[in-house]
Amino acid sequence: MLGIRRISTSRWWHKKKNWLFFAIFLLLTFVRISKGAFYKDFYYFISKPFWPGQFQKEIVLESIDQEYLIKLNLLKKDNLRLRQILSLQESSNDEHISAAVISRKTGGWWRQIILNKGSKDGVEIGNIVIGPGGLLGRVKNTSLFTSSVTLITSPESKLGVWVDRIQTNGLLIGLGDDYPSLILYSEDADIKVGDFVSSSPASTLLPPNIPIGIVQSIDETLKSKKTAKILLLAKPHVIDWVQILEVNI
Amino acid sequence: MGANFGSKYLMNKFLTKKLSIISFTFIPIIYLWHPNWLGFLGVQPYWPLFWLLPWSMINGSINGLMFGLFLGLILDSLTLNESFTQIPGLIFCGFLFGRIKLHSDFLLGHFRYGLICSLGSFLCGTFYFLQILFRNFSDSNFLMLIPSVKNTLAEVFLTGLFAPFICSQLLRMFNFSRRKIQ
Repeated sequence: MLGIRRISTSRWWHKKKNWLFFAIFLLLTFVRISKGAFYKDFYYFISKPFWPGQFQKEIVLESIDQEYLIKLNLLKKDNLRLRQILSLQESSNDEHISAAVISRKTGGWWRQIILNKGSKDGVEIGNIVIGPGGLLGRVKNTSLFTSSVTLITSPESKLGVWVDRIQTNGLLIGLGDDYPSLILYSEDADIKVGDFVSSSPASTLLPPNIPIGIVQSIDETLKSKKTAKILLLAKPHVIDWVQILEVNI
Repeated sequence: MGANFGSKYLMNKFLTKKLSIISFTFIPIIYLWHPNWLGFLGVQPYWPLFWLLPWSMINGSINGLMFGLFLGLILDSLTLNESFTQIPGLIFCGFLFGRIKLHSDFLLGHFRYGLICSLGSFLCGTFYFLQILFRNFSDSNFLMLIPSVKNTLAEVFLTGLFAPFICSQLLRMFNFSRRKIQ
């Protein structure tokens, strides 16, 4: 009787220690199979306070901005040089007059802004006004201290524009709302939503390559021509400071 | 001291006398100011009508017609649209407003200003829209239709909304100024 009891207590599964080892072994096997997911998640939480924070992000963004700015300047110089070689139209690159918007009519029938720079500061009728985003309009009238700008959303505005993807010229007409209409006088023009519209190299009113907007919707009900609504990149109802460019065409 | 008092008296007399003309000079300024926070769908009330209604009601149709013309000339000079003019609408409104008699009922008068100004704004908007339509008859005129209707309706709504407040005050002011002159 005693002998039997002694044998049963000596079995390995009667020892707690063995079960403990077995549990640890199973755990480690699971860790191995899960490729250390627990460890990584644990590390995620303990390393959180030491991550590269907002400050690092700002440094990176600033560096990217500087890089883009330098690239842009280099490309501008290249563009200017090539245009001079090919005797193409060019916008004046040195005469930018900064002006503040002192009166703004961007809704309703009249779509115009009045700037605080006039003929005294060298602003002339026909000068181009650009804001953050691209083209806003043309100077229609100047007084000694102010200049009035017809916005491209005005029903009076008609400009030649260029759709870069399909390499086609079109006519941009203001309709009296926030979305001017682009008219392409070709039924097989393959215009798509999202196409980028800039000033036309063939235009006699604007310097080339000034960003204007992107195609928002297309109306194909007419057979002879295609019309599209353009979402402007520059928002005249919020811009307070603009730049006036002299046009050398 | 006496001279100072005299000049002050003369100044006050001048201001009272010319209250209507002084307020007239503010129309182009508020028209240029174009306060966005007062707008609806980016559209402003049609400011000149607020002045033209009381002026025409007091001074009659011919006077209203004349000042409608003056207002049209000034406001056209401030806008850049050379092909379109506000003069016909304002002349018509000036003449029309002159035919309206002053109403004795205080509350009814207030609402009446709103309705009359709404009608005037609708007429001016329609005149302006017809010019745009006529000018662009050959190409894409149907595209102008929706924004133009939106502009007209928003303007009619806002003008009707503000007219009872502004017109009644201006009418009281002009009447006060007239009584002082007499």
